[in-house]
Amino acid sequence: MNFNLTEEQQLLQDSVRRFAERSYAFAARTALVQAGQGGSAQNWQLFAENGWLAAALPEAGGGLGGSVVDTALIAQQLGRALVIEPYLGCAVLAAQTLAAAASAEQQARWLPGLACGEQRYALAFAEAASNGDPSIVEMQALRSGDGYVLNGSKTLVLGANGASGYIVSARLHGAQAPHDIALFLVDATAPGVSARAWLLHDGSRAADLHFAQVRVGDEALLGAPAGGLAALREGLAHAVAALCAELVGAMEKAIEMTAEYLKVRRQFGVPIGSFQALQHRLADMVAELEVARSMLYALLASIENDSAAQRDHTVSMAKSLVGRAAKYVCGQAIQLHGGIGMTEEYAVGHYFKRAVVADLLFGNGDSHDAASAAVLQRALMS
Amino acid sequence: MDFRHDSNLHDFREQVRSFLRERLPADLAGRKSGSRSQRPDLMRWQRILDDHGWGAPYWSKEHGGTGWTVQQRLVFDEECAAAGAPTQDNFAQKLVGPVLNHFATPEQKAEHLPAIFKGERLWCQGFSEPGAGSDLASLRTQAALDGDHFVVDGQKIWTSYAHQADWIFLLVRTDPAAKKQLGISFLLVDMKTPGITVRPIVSIDGRHHLNETFFDKVRVPVRNLVGGQGEGWKLTKFLLNNEHASTADLPTLFRLLRLVKETARQRRVGDAPLVRKSEFALRLARMEAEVQAIAVLVQRVAAMEADHSPQAHAMGSILKIRGTELQQRLSEFLVEALGERGAVSRLAPAGATGDAAEDASADLQASEREAQAIAAEMFFRRASTIYGGSSEIQRGIIARSILDL
Repeated sequence: MNFNLTEEQQLLQDSVRRFAERSYAFAARTALVQAGQGGSAQNWQLFAENGWLAAALPEAGGGLGGSVVDTALIAQQLGRALVIEPYLGCAVLAAQTLAAAASAEQQARWLPGLACGEQRYALAFAEAASNGDPSIVEMQALRSGDGYVLNGSKTLVLGANGASGYIVSARLHGAQAPHDIALFLVDATAPGVSARAWLLHDGSRAADLHFAQVRVGDEALLGAPAGGLAALREGLAHAVAALCAELVGAMEKAIEMTAEYLKVRRQFGVPIGSFQALQHRLADMVAELEVARSMLYALLASIENDSAAQRDHTVSMAKSLVGRAAKYVCGQAIQLHGGIGMTEEYAVGHYFKRAVVADLLFGNGDSHDAASAAVLQRALMS
Repeated sequence: MDFRHDSNLHDFREQVRSFLRERLPADLAGRKSGSRSQRPDLMRWQRILDDHGWGAPYWSKEHGGTGWTVQQRLVFDEECAAAGAPTQDNFAQKLVGPVLNHFATPEQKAEHLPAIFKGERLWCQGFSEPGAGSDLASLRTQAALDGDHFVVDGQKIWTSYAHQADWIFLLVRTDPAAKKQLGISFLLVDMKTPGITVRPIVSIDGRHHLNETFFDKVRVPVRNLVGGQGEGWKLTKFLLNNEHASTADLPTLFRLLRLVKETARQRRVGDAPLVRKSEFALRLARMEAEVQAIAVLVQRVAAMEADHSPQAHAMGSILKIRGTELQQRLSEFLVEALGERGAVSRLAPAGATGDAAEDASADLQASEREAQAIAAEMFFRRASTIYGGSSEIQRGIIARSILDL
């Protein structure tokens, strides 16, 4: 493992960092959150112009041919500023799932629009009963003529508002269909698609989608009918890496803010940072951050090197460990700030909100622990 | 930043494995315990390593070592532990050796280094005193100059393996008038010198690793002073700043995790293996994730050390805290995995008359012996968050490095 940034990686990190610090100061972010649109279209265009949307997409699809390491570098910096634009949901989760599922021809057709920001897709895989598990799918795709008819509901689709299309997982039905999970690209304006939009605790937007007798053509089926689940898992691996990186960035920033506050806040005639109880708490937060960052690196290595099964196990370990770390660190950041940390207009509480939402996305810590435990049971009982 | 597999490191691992297959004698292999090997085993293994040119795996080529990168050293440690090879003398390899390499005179090097390579001389460390633990610089053991000798008077404590050591490296106060740190010097002392008494301290694992070491008018030739008079603190800081990456003892974490998994597979609860229990499997899953994360943290600290990054110090403290705490939790988990058998200390002596007849054929089964060794190791692991800078001292270091106080 080489942990030093290459020159290109450094440039990429610096460019996102500059955006986060200059255009995404906390007051500017607060205005975006209050507008309730899940971020601004101008920012998204800027992401595209800077190549952040294209960074980890294949060159054949108009991307820059980078890797999940680039994704993590971008996400970490966005996490520091609690950026609410749907980088995670659209540029990582949807785009990487599309790249994993689509045929070469489909990639050439659809990825360039994502890379340059003209199109934005959201991934609709979660359902009311799925609890983050992409293999639990009740939505149906019925073979009909030279296409399919989709029926069902999806929950909490990240970045659904303003998306031009949805990538939808559905179980194949009908004569000769083996109940495989397939992925379809559905136009957001297709007849029969309706949405209910939500604002999440962290200021981002998501939507529940309902599909009633939605007709799509054969060309909407991404890749092979049986390849949907594997592609979803690959997309989710990238998304969990991005989410963990975001949380690492968020923890960094929460710790920096707290350290700064301990130096300036005075009680009993001295800076409260002179108290050992608070110093040691902060030291534990830093240690938690560094263990979490190490787990993120383990996940990036696993995505680069391992089999899909081994990768998914690492995804579960990372999702749980980093998610818990972020809730601990950001929760303690509020604690060390005292009363001011409880206020809506002060930044630190929003880091905790992001950590809470992050744990709930893609399966929470407990459910990923259970997945890891099941892997262990299979391995040790065979 | 690049996380793709490094094929060079992979080749190196194969090289270490084939060395271990060919050169590790069967009667030295299969070591399971986490404590140091017995003196004869350790010396024999050291000679085998030295014959192969690997007598000092952690030292640079300039000092006669292997010149391995930090990553290679980690692989070496990991593979040796996996094969159950004996330990080396870490006091020599990781503590006094590097100090000698950097600060000793040519005569001192000629006297001590060959014996380290050949495994002929074991070392122990005389730092802590009853009144000088975390506040090491308050030590009081005196060395008064008398002609061409120092006369050493005082007491050291927690001197691990002093009862098996040939030499001790000692911090002494040579200038009682100087400011705390400035009056300290670094002496090498032959343990056979008259006036040295070693008394065992039995620790809560029921075993004898620790000692008190007393010095009563012990005459030490001035030529055994390393560095100048009053330079002992500088050398100590150098010594303590070495090898941050090994404080987590990653091979031990891997070994404990392997043992938990073996136990989970083999021990039956009802009609199923222990791992079937969901509460057990969940806890194991979370521990495994932590071991994975710590393994990467070790790599990061190793890389920082290799780059001489100023961050290595505070990051080493983080690793020390989290690595040693995980050792404790994992060894406790292992004892719990043994079930009630984990509570057994040893066979009881014959009971009072009237008790049920005792089975005197009670030779311990291998599994029973192992269970006791595991519990002993768990108890001794409590020391790991105390020695080498307690977790509280480490938290202070981290807080200072980020708070800038």
